[in-house]
Amino acid sequence: MLKTLAAILPDDPVVEHAVDSLELERNALGYDAWGFHAEHCKGAAKLAHYIYRYFRPRIHGIENLPPGRVLVVPNHSGQLPFDGLVVATACMLEAKPPRLVRGMAERWFSTLPYVSEVFARSGSVLGDPVNCRNLLEADNAILVFPEGARGSGKTWDRRYQLQPFGRGFMRLALETHTPVVPVAVVGAEESILSVHDAKLLSKLFGTPYWPVPPHLPMVGLLAYLPLPTRFHVTFGEPMHFEGRWDDEDQAIDEKVRLVMDRVQGMVDEGLRRRKSVFA
Amino acid sequence: MDREVALVTGIAGGLAGQVAHALHDRGYHVVGVDYRALPSASALPEGTTLVRAHYNKTGIEDVFRRHRPSLVLHLGRVGNLKEQLEKRFELNVIGGQKITALCLKYGVRRLVVLSTFHIYGADPMNHTPISEDDPLRAGTEFPEIADAIQLDNHAVNTLYRYPQMQTVVLRPCNVVGPGIQNAMSRFLRQPRVPVMMGFDPMVQLVHERDLISAILAVAGGTAIGVFNVAGKSALPWSAVVDMTGAGRVPVPSSVAFAYLRVASLFTSTLPPYLVNFIKHPCVISDEAFRRTFGWAPQVDEVETVRSTVGG
Repeated sequence: MLKTLAAILPDDPVVEHAVDSLELERNALGYDAWGFHAEHCKGAAKLAHYIYRYFRPRIHGIENLPPGRVLVVPNHSGQLPFDGLVVATACMLEAKPPRLVRGMAERWFSTLPYVSEVFARSGSVLGDPVNCRNLLEADNAILVFPEGARGSGKTWDRRYQLQPFGRGFMRLALETHTPVVPVAVVGAEESILSVHDAKLLSKLFGTPYWPVPPHLPMVGLLAYLPLPTRFHVTFGEPMHFEGRWDDEDQAIDEKVRLVMDRVQGMVDEGLRRRKSVFA
Repeated sequence: MDREVALVTGIAGGLAGQVAHALHDRGYHVVGVDYRALPSASALPEGTTLVRAHYNKTGIEDVFRRHRPSLVLHLGRVGNLKEQLEKRFELNVIGGQKITALCLKYGVRRLVVLSTFHIYGADPMNHTPISEDDPLRAGTEFPEIADAIQLDNHAVNTLYRYPQMQTVVLRPCNVVGPGIQNAMSRFLRQPRVPVMMGFDPMVQLVHERDLISAILAVAGGTAIGVFNVAGKSALPWSAVVDMTGAGRVPVPSSVAFAYLRVASLFTSTLPPYLVNFIKHPCVISDEAFRRTFGWAPQVDEVETVRSTVGG
């Protein structure tokens, strides 16, 4: 399916060159054990490049992405995971050499026809701690949103306030001796606005939240189309942590706090520097 | 000096026959046992003793008493759903227990049990790769695989409870090859092979030659344990089907399950649980096996598929 998409979409030499130069362990037919394949990935990456250009991101500090295993840890916002898409695309197109940053998909996705296939071929894997550990031990880069749905689904009154981070990523970082690269995404928060979480609807459809944009009564479902805000993405210097991965929660929390504070600081700095939501 | 005796179960199967040849070449006197009709003696190495016996009846004890094997390769797990559940339970579970009990009673030095990776189950929640310590999920959706899980559990118990005998349990991925007649090999040989609409998981195939070399590595070694055995690398099911030269038939998985549930009542066909293995991933790691026995598969992915279908 993705191969067909790659053939239908116009040539994109930037994407093709980036995907072709990914340094990944693959078998003779070009697949890795999780199902990634460059030719299929090009379809997804070309499509992602359109969305990437829609948000016209300004990328800072991409050179902070170290070679080898790394956990990329951004703030999460904007209702739909465009922030993840923009961060991953930046790592693919702007990093030297290009990096495939693997997304950790919700468990639900792997049960869905076609979606599970698209995810696997383009490098995402089931968000399971063992998968994560196996990937890091194989020196992959992984994208983690420790805020989870708490971050992406938050309403306008809490914009750019980081929600509590989970501890899982820190335990993995300690266990696999993986550096953490803090990332701040500014601009995603305004792409889809939400003033209310319609809990009844989210319960009905089995989603973690259901955003209600303020202009929903005026424009109807069009309110769910993301606005062309400009994204500012800042990659911070890698943070290295030492200690026992199975330590008490309190000890892990202290380390998590350091990452959270760093990300919040970078988000605040990005907001100060930003002149307008769209410029 | 008397030759060492190797008892091989499932001798009527394609795999055991080839293992018998290799053991003969290594100086063993091979005693082949099967509950099914025995193969012709000419297909087996000269001097092979063939016995038709149920694994759960007294006949099998006579074999142990008469031949006193030092090496037992229990390759005769019944995976074929043509056999009724009760019969498979008797052969696999009770028969498996009987064979281990006899191994202990007659002082067998080394026991190798050929289990299967099917017991892990193919599931959308599987991580990649699956190691020997991971849970066996298959039974949750397909209780008819319970006999294979019990056979494996019993062998693993034996391994740890009776250190006087060296026990090894092998869990190979899909075994295929020109001499193999199991469900997966027959499935690949069809003129048109189904793919599940919207799903294309990574699958692993191990060529019979590689599995035989794995079994021989275990037979000749001293290490014990439970080990996965995989082939060269994992491929999407659609790529495997393309390699067979057969046409792909996209089928909704619900239709495939329903068809096989009904068809399995009348004919020997693909076990319904196998459909899950072409719908969801079950990619195993055999790193521990490679490290322990210095084994590596030799047959590449393309030859593995092509030789199976005779292309």
